Amino acid sequence: MARTHAPPAPAPTAAAPRALPLRRRPAVIALGFLAPALLMLVVLRLWPAAQALYGSLLHTSLLEGTTTWVGLDNYAVLFTDPDFWQSVGVTLVFNLVINPGQVLIALGLAVLFAKRFAGARLWRSLVLIPVAVPPAVSAVIWGVLYRPEGPLNALLAVFGLPAQPYLTSPAQALGAMIVMMSWVGVGYWMMFLLAGLQDIPADLYEAAKIDGASAWRRFVHVTLPQLRRPLAFVLVADTISNFLVFAPVQLLTSGGPEGATKLMMFDIFHRAYSVGDLHLALAEVMILVLVTLVIVSVQFRLLHSRED
Amino acid sequence: MSGALSRRRLLTGGAGIAAAVGLSGCAGGSDPRGRTVLGFLGSEAAATFQPVIDGFERANPGIAVAYTTVPADQLNDVLQLRLSAADSAIDVYTVDQPRVPALSARGFLTDLDPVAGRARDAVLPEQFEISSWEGRLRSLPIWTSTQYLFCNVDMLRKAGAEVPAADPAERWTWEQTLGAGRRAQERAGASAALLLEQTDLYYGIQPLVASLEAGSGITGPDMLTPDIRNDGWVRAMTWYHDLFANGLSPRGIESTQLVTLFTDGKAPFFVGGPWNLGAFAGLDAFQWRAVPQPYFADGVPATPTDSWSWGVNPAAAHPDAARRFVEYASLTTKGNLSTVRKTPLIPSNTAAFTSYVERLDTEATASTENAGTIMRHELEHTAVGRPRSIGYTQFETVMGAAFSDIRNGSEPEARLRRASAELERTWDRLR
Amino acid sequence: MSHSPARPRSAGPRALRRHGPAVLAAAIGILFALPLLWVFSGSLRDTDEIFAGLDRISWTTLVPADPTLDNYATLLSGDFGIAVANSVLVSAVTVAAGLVMSAMAAFGLSAIPFRGRGAVFAVVVLSFLIPFDAIAIPLSAVFRDWSLQNTYLGLILPGIGNGLAIFLIRQFFLAVPKELVEAARLDGLGWWGVFWRIYVPLSRPVLIGAGMTLFLFQWQAYVWPLLIGTEPAKQLGPIALGNLQGQLVPDYGAIFAGSVVLIAIPLIVILRLQRYFVQSVSTSGLK
Repeated sequence: MARTHAPPAPAPTAAAPRALPLRRRPAVIALGFLAPALLMLVVLRLWPAAQALYGSLLHTSLLEGTTTWVGLDNYAVLFTDPDFWQSVGVTLVFNLVINPGQVLIALGLAVLFAKRFAGARLWRSLVLIPVAVPPAVSAVIWGVLYRPEGPLNALLAVFGLPAQPYLTSPAQALGAMIVMMSWVGVGYWMMFLLAGLQDIPADLYEAAKIDGASAWRRFVHVTLPQLRRPLAFVLVADTISNFLVFAPVQLLTSGGPEGATKLMMFDIFHRAYSVGDLHLALAEVMILVLVTLVIVSVQFRLLHSRED
Repeated sequence: MSGALSRRRLLTGGAGIAAAVGLSGCAGGSDPRGRTVLGFLGSEAAATFQPVIDGFERANPGIAVAYTTVPADQLNDVLQLRLSAADSAIDVYTVDQPRVPALSARGFLTDLDPVAGRARDAVLPEQFEISSWEGRLRSLPIWTSTQYLFCNVDMLRKAGAEVPAADPAERWTWEQTLGAGRRAQERAGASAALLLEQTDLYYGIQPLVASLEAGSGITGPDMLTPDIRNDGWVRAMTWYHDLFANGLSPRGIESTQLVTLFTDGKAPFFVGGPWNLGAFAGLDAFQWRAVPQPYFADGVPATPTDSWSWGVNPAAAHPDAARRFVEYASLTTKGNLSTVRKTPLIPSNTAAFTSYVERLDTEATASTENAGTIMRHELEHTAVGRPRSIGYTQFETVMGAAFSDIRNGSEPEARLRRASAELERTWDRLR
Repeated sequence: MSHSPARPRSAGPRALRRHGPAVLAAAIGILFALPLLWVFSGSLRDTDEIFAGLDRISWTTLVPADPTLDNYATLLSGDFGIAVANSVLVSAVTVAAGLVMSAMAAFGLSAIPFRGRGAVFAVVVLSFLIPFDAIAIPLSAVFRDWSLQNTYLGLILPGIGNGLAIFLIRQFFLAVPKELVEAARLDGLGWWGVFWRIYVPLSRPVLIGAGMTLFLFQWQAYVWPLLIGTEPAKQLGPIALGNLQGQLVPDYGAIFAGSVVLIAIPLIVILRLQRYFVQSVSTSGLK
């Protein structure tokens, strides 16, 4: 995308002619407002993305010390690599579970904390703090909690429940990661929904009450429709961030056991650095970007059809 | 607040930032005193290298060294990226010795052959070899390493078990060690029989395989063929699998946190590096002792070795000063000794090594009695270096995942088969 | 949401209805905070004691028997303080510049009707959705070409362009009644005036929300600062924390103390600002 031909930035108030017709060259003015963002977009995203795309079409031989154009070979290599497909599968399962899960929990928390009661602000803040915890620290915390001889199993024992293997088992590791990341994330998403809830006019509820609607019906017919925009934001933003999860995997499981937590973003870093095959990693980057874009576009489309 | 005011405020803020950025843009060449500033990148705590930097700056008044720490997990990634971008801000960097071949092949190490003659005289012979590749010196060695078996003497006595001797001639077998460890679990309340500091790392696992004389795992004319499915490998990995499956060693604990089980008096045995001699120095809750690392009864004694060299970036802004710094740290006795003042690692410089071992002997406590003798013996007789291959980086990564899975219960033979296939695929890409 | 007490049927359910939410909220809040309490108490212990006795839970797991400030002293003796100051500076500038840019873009995408607005919006948001981590490698090469390595600008720039912030602010701007704009325009206010005098003051809650998004992204930045390389004097907090891990014998006491500092600063920001953030649009005078 080329630089826009917008005239220099938005005209300051004084320079604007009086009683400017409302819709005169609106696109130009809008682009003026958009110019800084578009510039950033080209510099910080599109240009490096183009370079990544180009890089994904090359191959470096370490034995020969040469870099050559190989076209789509890197993609072909990926498509025949069982580790790649495992990583795709893990990423999809992870997102199918964590996105609806986090949005629902965040919604439940928002509804709870929107009520007025003593200490609401304090308890709400506590739910929010984990967002601020550096990933390296949450990894230490949960690494300890999930020890087979650790505090969680000690707690289970109090209730007479059997000890669980958590991160050491291929069957439980991904679920354990999901719990940990929800601890980090749900408070954050709750905030956006909470803000949305506060915006719902109280008279809508009063009207529904007068009509004799039950609490559940009020939630379905008043709260949810009114919460459409913040929910859309949270769902899309959450999905994107979950497709790009990397640090917790690297810090806690390195993709194991048996590849059960090998999310694509981790696989990419693994290929780029640990294995040192940058071009193959870039090919996987392109695939991940494409998958993310497709899913987000679909979400947009679904949400848009119901909007305005 | 009015729009105009806040806009002005914003502009002032912006100007301030621009000034700050402008000021900072010129860093990296020379300092206010006009000295050349060398960029030095590594992953040790800054305190470790402070003595060698101070010593070098005193000896070379025109040069200052700016050391940047990169978190250990990220060092290889960061180096890979910045070196391939020919980043001139890195003059000297620390090199994990088995990575010398790959770094050389990528053109990330300046050829130091002009000082090869001096280096050969100054450093331990095997350390010279591992710092070279294809017959040319590529880096200068700083440290080497070995491992000890640390034992909780009080716990073993309480369990009525024998305590291993410090004499390498009376080295214990793994079978003996686990026997005593089990006893400690049964009778002295130990939660683990044996802890391995380098869990899941090739460095820590290689001696198991080497003790069964099953090869390094890499073979072939270009050292890019995996050989990890032979009987010795499967046996060593089955032993490793059972260690965790049978509750002799705990699963699911970060390897850096494992040591706390030993210091907390929860395990009778801990296999770890010489830095623990320093870390355990203040440990007075129980009596401990460092003895030689065990071997398999039907195998041979084998211990890990090698550590770090320093290399000069071919894109360095100050190549001459960089080489002077590396030579000071590796080839001079004083310089090399100052790299181990804060953290007890083993000097690669021959004279420094001798004086270091002598000091270990003279300053020995009941716990570290013979630590110097053991060190010398292991490096001379039982040390097994890691394989020299441009594919070592990939090997270490793939094997690390396999070790981790086997520890968590994967069937060893099947998991090795999978790792072997993955290695073939990965190495194929290097060609 | 106002809750007029429902007509009581019996005492039990009524007590439950009145105190239920508070009890539930307290339980959830404590559950979320417990792991961090362990971190805080760990920061007051010797490293050796942090991981001791984790297999049996007791009150000593959360309350250090013999608290010490040694770990914080260790932090002060190193570069950690400078790193935290750098993080504050970088995050603050990112939030300020990022908010101005995002709000302007959101305004262009919501208040001014023009043909193809939907398409431009899609392009802007989707482009910013290209995962930053994924393109960080080529981007760091670009930055190095422009000599931005080792500068604050190099650390700040990537945090400014944030598609989520634009998206979030736009969602809010869409709710601003068009009549308000028409009226202002008829009064002779230019577009910049409409943006700066009407939209920005009205949208304090969402700007705080977007600011938090920008802040948290930058505050936790880890891979990027490593990639472009920073000298010790410009190191950021999370990197300094990572460096405490060391190569051979990690000092978990210092790591926990560093974490407490790195958590405390955003916590203060969140506590101070969340009141505005959840403030309703109606109370900010929009409806």
